[in-house]
Amino acid sequence: MSNVIEPVPAPVPAAHDGHSEAHPDFLQHHFDTPAQQFHAAKLGMWVFIATEILMFGGLFCAYAIWRGMDPAIFDQAHHFLNKKMGASNTVVLLFSSLTAALAVRSAQLGKRNQTSVFLVITILCAFGFLVIKYFEYTHKFHLGLLPGHCFGHPWFSGAIQNGEEVGSCLRIHADAAAGSPEWVRAVDESGNMQLLPPRANMFFGIYFCMTGLHAIHVIVGMSILTWVLVKNINGKFSKEYFTPVDLGALYWHLVDLVWIYLFPLLYLVGKPE
Amino acid sequence: MSTEHAHAEHDHPDDGRVHVHIATARFYWGIFGALVVLTLLTVKVSYYDFGSANILIALLIATMKAGLVATFFMHLRHDSLFNTLAFLAAFLFLGIFILLTYDDIGKRGQIDNAYGGVTDPRSGVSAPGGEPATSATQDSIEGDAPKGGAGEKKE
Repeated sequence: MSNVIEPVPAPVPAAHDGHSEAHPDFLQHHFDTPAQQFHAAKLGMWVFIATEILMFGGLFCAYAIWRGMDPAIFDQAHHFLNKKMGASNTVVLLFSSLTAALAVRSAQLGKRNQTSVFLVITILCAFGFLVIKYFEYTHKFHLGLLPGHCFGHPWFSGAIQNGEEVGSCLRIHADAAAGSPEWVRAVDESGNMQLLPPRANMFFGIYFCMTGLHAIHVIVGMSILTWVLVKNINGKFSKEYFTPVDLGALYWHLVDLVWIYLFPLLYLVGKPE
Repeated sequence: MSTEHAHAEHDHPDDGRVHVHIATARFYWGIFGALVVLTLLTVKVSYYDFGSANILIALLIATMKAGLVATFFMHLRHDSLFNTLAFLAAFLFLGIFILLTYDDIGKRGQIDNAYGGVTDPRSGVSAPGGEPATSATQDSIEGDAPKGGAGEKKE
């Protein structure tokens, strides 16, 4: 620092009380003004959001390719997802997005306690989302729809006999002697018996990967919002400085955005029964 | 500092302080209501079969919802245009990514004989890296479903 020439002499807070606002505590020394710092932070967050979209993009691409290769599998296997639970989770996430937006609004207005309340509601909704997801996942585990367990690739599951039950699903070989792939018979969400071809693990594989990566984002989002909440309770934010609340909420809206696409692509697309 | 964020209705002084558009709580609740209506709509239409348009309808409604969230909850409406460009650029590159992958997949054969053919779909020539095609892989798997299929009672 000693060899840096300061173009503008730093104000002396004690001498000029009116000028102390120009260099508040929250303003990093490499920014000229709070507005410059705010817009730089926002741009950084949006670039990060773009990279997040591209990370999920790999899975969306896999979805598009696999679905294009075998649309019948997706039509059939999506009946194992519960539309009501998916829709409930969508509304829970949309509501948490609303409260996140309201938290930012309260922070913009400098209403600290109101911001805390909205942040707490957002975090609770995130937890509720995970609880519903837990029930969906455990039901699928129980049915034995987890890829690698029920849908063994014939190279790896030779030990399983024809007609053997794994979990509550039945595995059937068309021609066990010829090493043909296994079919899986299980009851779907509408109570209908479905006979799933071996390739149905493509659907459940992409389902668990996409919703799993999304669930990780929900957990990260909860952590970020909790950190923002603690800082807010400690009085770190004001009308002039609420950037972490804004960026934390942006992250949370991203989690919502991803789910807005996951829900129809996984739960709704396909022929109705 | 630039004044590009100033709005026509209330110009901000260029004083270096953070000036943002603050919407009313009622407005945010209105957006939430619209999002819930669109969610119910997309569930409702999923019970009707529009053939190949199913996925287009679902994606159209999802994009409307995403647009509402990005524009208003994420403040893009009153934010710097450059942030919107950064956001939309992600979708541009995602599109390039998916199109190139589609092109690649369409021009080579499958290599896993448990899940379909191992030949080029048009020429019938064995695909590089794949195992030779057999009757087990060439026959459509749907063609010879094992006994004990859908509809039968589970013992």
